[in-house]
Amino acid sequence: MTDLQKTIVVTGVGVVSPYGIGLDCLQEGMLSGKCCLTPAKDAYPGFTGTTAPICVPLPAEGSRSRYSRTDRLAAVAARDAVAHFDCESAAFRESGVVMASTVAGLTEIDPEIAQDPAAWYRRGGLSRAASYPVAHVADAVGEHLGICGPRCAVSVACASGAMAIALAANLLLDGVAPMMFAGGSDALCPFTLSGFSSLQALDPSPCRPFDQNRKGLNLGEGSAVLVLETLAGARARDANVLAVLRGWAMTNDAFHPTAPQQQGSGLAECMRRAMEIAEVGRGEIGYVNAHGTGTPLNDIAEANAYETAFRGRSLPIPVSSTKSYFGHCLGAAGALEAAITITAIRSGALFPTLRLTDPIESPGVDWLRGEVRRQPLPLAMSASAGFGGSNTVLIFGSGPA
Amino acid sequence: MTTNSPGININITGIGSVSPYGPLAGLIPPSALEPIAITAWPTAGLRRAFLVSPFRPASVVPGLKTRRLDRLSAWALVASTLAIQDAGIDLSQVDRSRVAVVFATCFGCVELTEAFFQSAVAHGWSGTDPSTFPETLANAPASHVALFHDLRGPNITVGSRGFAGESALLQAASLLRHGQAELAIVLAGDVLTRAVYEWYETANLLSPACYHSETSPEAGGFIPSEGVAALVLEAAGRRAGRAKVRSYAQLRSGRWASGGQPVEIVRQMLGGSDPSLTVCTTNGAPCATSPVTAVAREIAGDGAIIVPPQAVAAGLSDTSALLHLILALSSRPNSGQMLLLGTSGDIGFAALLLELR
Repeated sequence: MTDLQKTIVVTGVGVVSPYGIGLDCLQEGMLSGKCCLTPAKDAYPGFTGTTAPICVPLPAEGSRSRYSRTDRLAAVAARDAVAHFDCESAAFRESGVVMASTVAGLTEIDPEIAQDPAAWYRRGGLSRAASYPVAHVADAVGEHLGICGPRCAVSVACASGAMAIALAANLLLDGVAPMMFAGGSDALCPFTLSGFSSLQALDPSPCRPFDQNRKGLNLGEGSAVLVLETLAGARARDANVLAVLRGWAMTNDAFHPTAPQQQGSGLAECMRRAMEIAEVGRGEIGYVNAHGTGTPLNDIAEANAYETAFRGRSLPIPVSSTKSYFGHCLGAAGALEAAITITAIRSGALFPTLRLTDPIESPGVDWLRGEVRRQPLPLAMSASAGFGGSNTVLIFGSGPA
Repeated sequence: MTTNSPGININITGIGSVSPYGPLAGLIPPSALEPIAITAWPTAGLRRAFLVSPFRPASVVPGLKTRRLDRLSAWALVASTLAIQDAGIDLSQVDRSRVAVVFATCFGCVELTEAFFQSAVAHGWSGTDPSTFPETLANAPASHVALFHDLRGPNITVGSRGFAGESALLQAASLLRHGQAELAIVLAGDVLTRAVYEWYETANLLSPACYHSETSPEAGGFIPSEGVAALVLEAAGRRAGRAKVRSYAQLRSGRWASGGQPVEIVRQMLGGSDPSLTVCTTNGAPCATSPVTAVAREIAGDGAIIVPPQAVAAGLSDTSALLHLILALSSRPNSGQMLLLGTSGDIGFAALLLELR
């Protein structure tokens, strides 16, 4: 296998976020410092946590009746990712899908299903329930694009979106398809709002990741889909390379069903492995897009992980949480943050954490806050973690000359 | 549309399962199994399925605490432990940061999802149970396996219409091949609940054997099933401190796609005719009729042994591959090549080629 066949590149990015459809929209919104978090009770009466409703109506192309809202978000993001592609090529038709979700079709299911399922199905729930399995999200993307490679869905809580990208990269190295669509999608629904609310994990105000006075997370919704292929494949079709996926790694804390290991050892090990695979030193990473949920436990564990993983750098590692702009999009979060990391590399704009006034004391970390920082960024990392102890780290670099 | 996982030299060294045959380490002794009447919820007349009889997990795995878990997580813990034991692996001698868990499921922790909905009906969305919510996540069983065995490598939960089990096997093989793990515990399974069963029923997918005790499961059609099967995968040549490593089979290659005709692609994977080939077919998805046997005959020719889908495994739908594989290994212990082939309707196909040891 040549270096060209071993190098995984990103040739398309599609996004549906509270800023609208498209990466440009997301970038412009974040550069303006606009926070999309609005009170959840506006959309979901009875819920006091804040959240980020999608601001734009989804176009009709993603609105097949048997698609869940999560499916539709994914389909629209996938279509956005290939806006400039030749969708008639053999490589496109043979491409595969790895999509992540935690909510999937739960958005379509009413609590009454648990009382008398057959009656609920007869009242129109049959086709709605068909979208419940997480695999449906991958199918929605594949069907929508008309591609026939392998389709797989990933569900590892909040690390799902990043893990989908890592697994798609593995499959590309295996030669399973010439091109992979990888990302995540999750829609807001009462089930997750209620669940996180019951855990007292929601901040009733806009979240403050990495702040000493943080009180929890805000839920959001959205989708991001990356098009991955080998550099050989991209060059063969003269594709525009947006970024190189230099390294990726996955670990598990094996510590607690919901809480992260306090020293962040699992996440630190994940970062170490990703840097090893990428063959880059800890001093070469210019920015980390953090998981940064705003919960007391996550953020301190994550800060400890950065101290461990980047110990010995001459300068503190710049870190920010972009969940402060539009909330935690669960299974889509890792994919959206991968898209933001790629944007940072391409534009040299490092987005600060909003509302970070009193950061966690962590001498090895340069907490980005205040203004957008502008600097050349050849290499950046995106870190994700989730319930069940799953961690995934992706390292992106600027495209080859 | 071809999918290809070339050059896999991965051994299956351990088997564990919690299935309608009960909790078992290693192969499953061949025996006829009838679906049994559902009593866990009210039904309008006789309704049958292949069910896992209740058992106490701690009686199989001493010290195992499952009181707060749903059956899927409990079964995953039992099946993984039995598979590790069957492989003769002493985990204290293994670098557990290099052990992956890959779990395939279609419905995930649907029992607790239904319980969470019940609590919402009873108490409103503001009165739901905080201890239930995290256990509704699809990756809860895999994370409990990691927690119980202290496995700190990649922990992955996947779904794939028709072929989640095959997908998990190929993803695990990929982790081993790329050095992202040295050992992988692969699991696949689902639990049967009222909501799942009645969905199949309302969609007219059930076999007549679900309604009539005198109808044999061999009559065809889809009879829902439940359980979790587990395999230990290791790169060929790995000993991990063991004097002798038994291999049930070597996973040689795989093809997997969501469209296209499998015949030419799988023939190409086989690389020529093999008179000793056994083709074990799986439905790939619940449906009354499946073209898989005809496709298998077309691929392998008239001389090959074609094993029809095993109803008890086929009832697991997307996650049937591992139980199909275990049953196939249990009934065909001789050497030679075995093709596990699933194709059905518009979902594409999956094919795994194994060398029996």
